[in-house]
Amino acid sequence: MFKRYALWIALIAVLSTSLVAFAQSDSPTFTGDPIYIGVSGPLTGSLAQYGAQWKKGFDLALAEINGAGGIDGRELIYIFEDSQSDPTQSVIVAQQFVADERIIVELGDFSSTASMAASPIYQRGGLVQFGFTNSHPDFTFAGGEYTWSTSVTQAQASPALADFAVTRLGLENIAVFQLNNDWGLATYDYFTNRVAELGANVVSTQSYLADDTDFRSAITNIRNANPDGIVLISYAPDAALIAQQIREAGLDLPLVGSGSLQTPDFLTLGADAVEGALVIGQFLPSNPRPDVQAFVDAYREAYDEETPDLFAVIAYDAINIIAEAIRLGGPTREGVLEGLKTLQAVPSILYGTVTFDPENRRVLNPEFVDLIVDGGAFIPFDAQASSK
Amino acid sequence: MEQSLSIFFDQTVNGLVIGNIYGLIAVGLAVIFGVANLINFAHGSVYMVGAYVGWYSIMQLGLPLPVAFVVVAVICGILGILIERVGLRPLHGSARIAPLLATIGISFILDQLVQILFTPDPQRFESPIPAIRIPIGTTSIGLLDVLIAAVAITIATLLYVFLRYSKLGWALRATSQDREAAQQMGVDVNQVNRIAFALAAILGGIAGLLVGMYFQTVYPTMSAQAVLKGFAANLLGGLGSIPGALLGGLLLGLVESYGVALFSTSYRSLFAFIIVILMLLLRPNGLFNPKRQLPPEPLTGTFIPNNKRIHIPVWATVLGGVVALSLPFFFPNPYVMQVLTNAWLIGMVALSVTLVTGTAGQISLGQAGFLAIGAYTASLLTLRLQLPFELALLCAALFTAALGTLIVLPAFRLRSHYVAIATIGISEIINQIILNWRPVTNGALGLTNIPPPSLLGHEIVRPQEVYLFAFALLVGVALLQWKLINSPLGRVWRAVREDEVAAQAYGINLNYYKGLAFAVSAFIAGLSGAFMAHMYTYINYQTFTIPLSILALTMAILGGMGNILGAIVGALVLTILPELFRDLMDFRYLMYGVMLVALIRFRPQGLLGTE
Repeated sequence: MFKRYALWIALIAVLSTSLVAFAQSDSPTFTGDPIYIGVSGPLTGSLAQYGAQWKKGFDLALAEINGAGGIDGRELIYIFEDSQSDPTQSVIVAQQFVADERIIVELGDFSSTASMAASPIYQRGGLVQFGFTNSHPDFTFAGGEYTWSTSVTQAQASPALADFAVTRLGLENIAVFQLNNDWGLATYDYFTNRVAELGANVVSTQSYLADDTDFRSAITNIRNANPDGIVLISYAPDAALIAQQIREAGLDLPLVGSGSLQTPDFLTLGADAVEGALVIGQFLPSNPRPDVQAFVDAYREAYDEETPDLFAVIAYDAINIIAEAIRLGGPTREGVLEGLKTLQAVPSILYGTVTFDPENRRVLNPEFVDLIVDGGAFIPFDAQASSK
Repeated sequence: MEQSLSIFFDQTVNGLVIGNIYGLIAVGLAVIFGVANLINFAHGSVYMVGAYVGWYSIMQLGLPLPVAFVVVAVICGILGILIERVGLRPLHGSARIAPLLATIGISFILDQLVQILFTPDPQRFESPIPAIRIPIGTTSIGLLDVLIAAVAITIATLLYVFLRYSKLGWALRATSQDREAAQQMGVDVNQVNRIAFALAAILGGIAGLLVGMYFQTVYPTMSAQAVLKGFAANLLGGLGSIPGALLGGLLLGLVESYGVALFSTSYRSLFAFIIVILMLLLRPNGLFNPKRQLPPEPLTGTFIPNNKRIHIPVWATVLGGVVALSLPFFFPNPYVMQVLTNAWLIGMVALSVTLVTGTAGQISLGQAGFLAIGAYTASLLTLRLQLPFELALLCAALFTAALGTLIVLPAFRLRSHYVAIATIGISEIINQIILNWRPVTNGALGLTNIPPPSLLGHEIVRPQEVYLFAFALLVGVALLQWKLINSPLGRVWRAVREDEVAAQAYGINLNYYKGLAFAVSAFIAGLSGAFMAHMYTYINYQTFTIPLSILALTMAILGGMGNILGAIVGALVLTILPELFRDLMDFRYLMYGVMLVALIRFRPQGLLGTE
């Protein structure tokens, strides 16, 4: 028995050392010490898929920055600590980063539960917490001056979703599926307010939990409310399930989704059921902008022809914005804060350019695009052209 | 009228379709309860492995469905035998609770292996069954629904006949009732256990395959919700009853479906668990068991082993305490401080578990619910009523003790496994109420900007100060618990644990003493939760979840059941281990699982032994 454990331990030890060796094998030609970014996020556990996407975005951005000589001849690198996006672990990681004087800025965490539990620690430690997936409306106020985010808030994204559904698609009686978490709830509130302003009605709301998989009863409720369209305030895997079950129920209504659906997962998991689904998006891999095309090509080359999703894009952007802040303010903790305050119109794949609103430390005036799923891909949606 | 009748009909069909799936999952769990007589935490992982093996066979290798069934059955069967060999057999003769911890470790290993092999991304699993749908009313059922029903009914019938009429079936049931007696009658109990585990694993794997096909998706964490619903269906139908599991599943599906029709989808789990708790109150044997009396549980009295515990001299304990106390003055590294602060706070939860489970014999998997009550009460008191932190902390703990005891009342007439599942259900209900009671709890958005802990107006935010506060709380509750355990009350609790019937015969009011144990336990957990809320300054319904309850129980078992110092040592070990494995990245929790299995293998009575 003991031998078997010993074998396991040996196997894992060998694997992990070779991994570490592999990670350190590139030979840098840098002057001075590297500049360190701390990342707190899920590498294991139920949200691990998002941490994996982040890494791809980070690695690509860093390869480009360091390939061009780093920042003032210093290499920019990150230390990724697994928190499983669990608050008990994210606070440990936060203390570790605050105490580690090499680290001058922190990225993450993923969920608001984990991120906001750590925010006061970063705030007190004078280390910028840059949460690029945190759409919780209170996120940048959970810490304070040191809490920044490039994630759009529901206050920005939800009215855009309502405008799309009501004004451009002409829906009057809307049924809503709403994921019952902080993001879904805030999105729903802003969404219904805007829908009412526009003079349309929400005729049925079916809120559900992240681990729900069966929606047949909810679909029956929706059918009985006689809507002319269904809005999905959902994440990609549950939206794919809902779409499948809506189609199985024989309900042929337009599906309109929030920006969270703009991922390859939604397309692969939903397959035929999501054909024709409409999404208010933020990023389009087929966007002809040269920087977007260069990014998509580089990403596809680096990662086995995989199309980047929103999480990879926003992670890629986060590193570039931080790099710019360091260039402007200098490679110190205070420097990063100064840099974020002063930076103007930093190029971004997602937003075109990024400038922060000094009031809430979020991106000013993000833009959205109307998308439709066609032939298993997102393409721009033109309401006028399709009505003809 | 016409329309509401048609809605009723549609929702009935919907309920039966999903109930069908719950029933299938529940049948596999019933074998584990009824035959292997164990809460097998690895069952969910086997279910997930079955789904992945099926997905790989069909989507990647292009095998036809019947072949995929065979592949899943063979691989999962072997997996079941391996689990028995690694997790159960070596622990024969030690506490019944030791294998429980081994299965937790094995489930970590399986989950992590699948995640490393196939990435954490969900995978599309296209059903090879033609998408023909049979319209019924305004809704419809698919061919796959019919297949699932057929498989579930066939399996249940075969199992029922096998257990009732075959020689091997008798041997299985005999072993589950009394292992030693069966052995005396010439039954090869190892062989029997192996078969039971293989059987349960095959059922779990096939359920995983079918459910994966049904939802057209497989992902590494797919088992959690399924197992929870399987538990609930089992309780409804009567734990361990195979036809009961099927009917319980259908009933659960119907209840959920009507609940969704009347209220909202986010109440569906709330409904399911309230029905389960009502069932426990009214018909603790399940709907379909005629007898009023609970079936005799062979676990009673054998659950906690009477092992010699390691005697830690008082001076060593005091020395350890002094070292822990002086650490922030000599080594105030904030990272180390935070890790140990977490260990002290979760250590309090482990203490609360070891009290109800180790000392009083009631397995609790619902401590997260108590933490949540304490956390929300304290936060609301400081946020809304501007109460000072010290007062809010105390009020929250007292309130948790009162409310906590009240809501676990229905579980008092239950024993061992039933208590464990009932407490999971109760903690789920608490979470659902927090999620849905928006005016008070702010719903899914959670409570933000909770003030940090303070003492006499001084804010406690420096890592050393937080550490000392948490440590002081831990020492306080540990001393309280020690005092209680060594009082006459402690003896009564142990008597209840050893033999409820005998204790009752001596005039002990079981409900009263179980209630006291849960009250003290909830007080301690509530205190910890209240402190955590103010340390995090942000909480929501996901801050305190079932994995935290399982972790606390793991710590208590690892340290040695009922052992106060053991619970603290268990908390220290299990908080520090994942930190030591940080460099392993993705392999971190795989290693954690391996260590759990190894630790329990060599110290089945816990590190410090049972008190």
